[in-house]
Amino acid sequence: MFRKVLVANRGEIAVRVMRALREMKIASVAVYSDVDRNALHVRMADEAIAIGGAASSESYLRADKIIAAALACGAEAIHPGYGFLSENAAFAALCVESGLVFIGPPASAIEKLGSKTSARELAKKAGTPIPPGTEEALPNAEEARRIAREIGYPVILKAAAGGGGKGMRRVEREEDIEAAFRDASSEAERSFRNADVYIEKFIVRPRHIEIQVLGDQFGHMIYLGERECSVQRRHQKVIEEAPSPFIAKHPELRKKMGEAAVAAALAAGYVNAGTVEFLADETGRFYFLEMNTRLQVEHPVTECITGVDLVKWQLRIASGEPLTIQQDDVSIRGWAMECRLYAEDPDQGFLPSPGEITSLALPGGPGVRLDSGVYQGWRVPLEYDPLLIKLIAWAETRPDAIARLERALEETHIGGIRTNIEFFLDVLADASFQAGDLHTGFLDEWFLRRKKHVFSDADLAAARNAAELEAKGRKIERVEPAARSKWKQ
Amino acid sequence: MSIVKVEPSVWSHLDGHRHRELRVESDADGYVVTLRGRQTKVKIEDPRAWSATGAGKAGSGVAKVLTPMPGKVVRVLVAVGAQVESGQGLVVVEAMKMQNELKSPIAGTVKQVQAVEGATVNANQVLVVVESDAS
Repeated sequence: MFRKVLVANRGEIAVRVMRALREMKIASVAVYSDVDRNALHVRMADEAIAIGGAASSESYLRADKIIAAALACGAEAIHPGYGFLSENAAFAALCVESGLVFIGPPASAIEKLGSKTSARELAKKAGTPIPPGTEEALPNAEEARRIAREIGYPVILKAAAGGGGKGMRRVEREEDIEAAFRDASSEAERSFRNADVYIEKFIVRPRHIEIQVLGDQFGHMIYLGERECSVQRRHQKVIEEAPSPFIAKHPELRKKMGEAAVAAALAAGYVNAGTVEFLADETGRFYFLEMNTRLQVEHPVTECITGVDLVKWQLRIASGEPLTIQQDDVSIRGWAMECRLYAEDPDQGFLPSPGEITSLALPGGPGVRLDSGVYQGWRVPLEYDPLLIKLIAWAETRPDAIARLERALEETHIGGIRTNIEFFLDVLADASFQAGDLHTGFLDEWFLRRKKHVFSDADLAAARNAAELEAKGRKIERVEPAARSKWKQ
Repeated sequence: MSIVKVEPSVWSHLDGHRHRELRVESDADGYVVTLRGRQTKVKIEDPRAWSATGAGKAGSGVAKVLTPMPGKVVRVLVAVGAQVESGQGLVVVEAMKMQNELKSPIAGTVKQVQAVEGATVNANQVLVVVESDAS
């Protein structure tokens, strides 16, 4: 096992990794930018090395500086966390060339899975289902009609050179396909100077369900159940849970998806922890989306329901130890749900809300896990992702987990800046959410029917009362200090 | 009703047996109060913006100098019968840990002083009455 590991990240994930290192008696090394000298991850580390300017491009994205720091302090391995350099194949290769262990998959696997087309090809070869359709340009409307008949409606026509919704047409019925093909091609021609259009099956109200895999350097790989991350805002996950409410109703899917994920990962020569993302339709058909070649933000929900510490296994696997957990050893217990608490203002279009955290109250009690990267008095910098804290609740059942998460959110207070706590309380109270009736467009629909909390008159009177007293800055009723302990009297 | 400060800016409020815990933070235009994760805004006039505008008429006539918000009388600067100039300090009231001098809006004679040093005063309580000599 390693004696010293450098964590090439910041915020809650750096803290998470350092906690595992501390428990494993491995020395931890933090790297920090100019504005992060007093950040929590530096406070948690055994050693800390400055790597440059506040902008990520001058510090956390500088492979050369990070490798130099690791070599200077005698670290044997680098944990990249998520984001920054975690899915950068060149960085993984540079670590190895410098005699350091990259805690993650080999550079070759990152490369193969990094490109959408090569990942899709790999998955297809491994027998993992991909969305039906073509990736080559359609020669004419007749060919579009033929393939649509084969894969079934609805279908979507997409500009090959496209993006941003331009040159896209969703087609429900065969009689519309010719006109849609014409429109999509001409729009593609106008937008991208390339009229090429391809066709794909359109997945109605898809769920985002992903499989956690874990594999060692000897070809042994397992899956650790699924996570459902259908609650997204602008393709950004905001609430994640494990297991998936959909798979809980169709339990046979877990093994199918798990085996498909392992097959795709093994085909890429994957090692260490990774996540295979799928879209699942209402009938239970699922399609490969992409593979994330790193530890995920939402990994704690999997840890809660399986009891497996993913970060510790990442370290053991990277140091060359075999994975001793067999597939049959993996069992799922209870339900876990995570909220990503951000420094953002939901009333101002979720704009980032950096600033000083003037007060901080954190929840506790049974089944609550808190992965935080902040402390009271710390100033949230402008330069980075505004994720502050991940709040995770575990309980025996999904309704219990929701109630517990709600309770924990009510106990949480992050003062001085705006956060999305109230937004989460509103989502958790939604009937469709509670029914587990989710899809990737869930939040778009929810915003239209959102019920804002209404305070009672008594609540408002109490609030005014407290604010007035706070304004006066003095107590009305003093708590009598105990002159001396009455214990044992 | 009982309300006590249990931590800085955290108030424990009992209305009979009904308990509420309230976290109060100042905001650009007042206070934000958090109650079990939910937030509401409360507007309270900032005593730092106090001036003699709490008085009745400016310039002439009878001026009643009153408190725009609750506080504590720190000092009484005038007595009944005193001649005061417009803008002269009459009473010092403390609120939000700030001392604020209430000034006379008019020149005249002090007719009444209802402020007592050390006393707690409510919002809109008349502290001093000044009568213009011209009237």
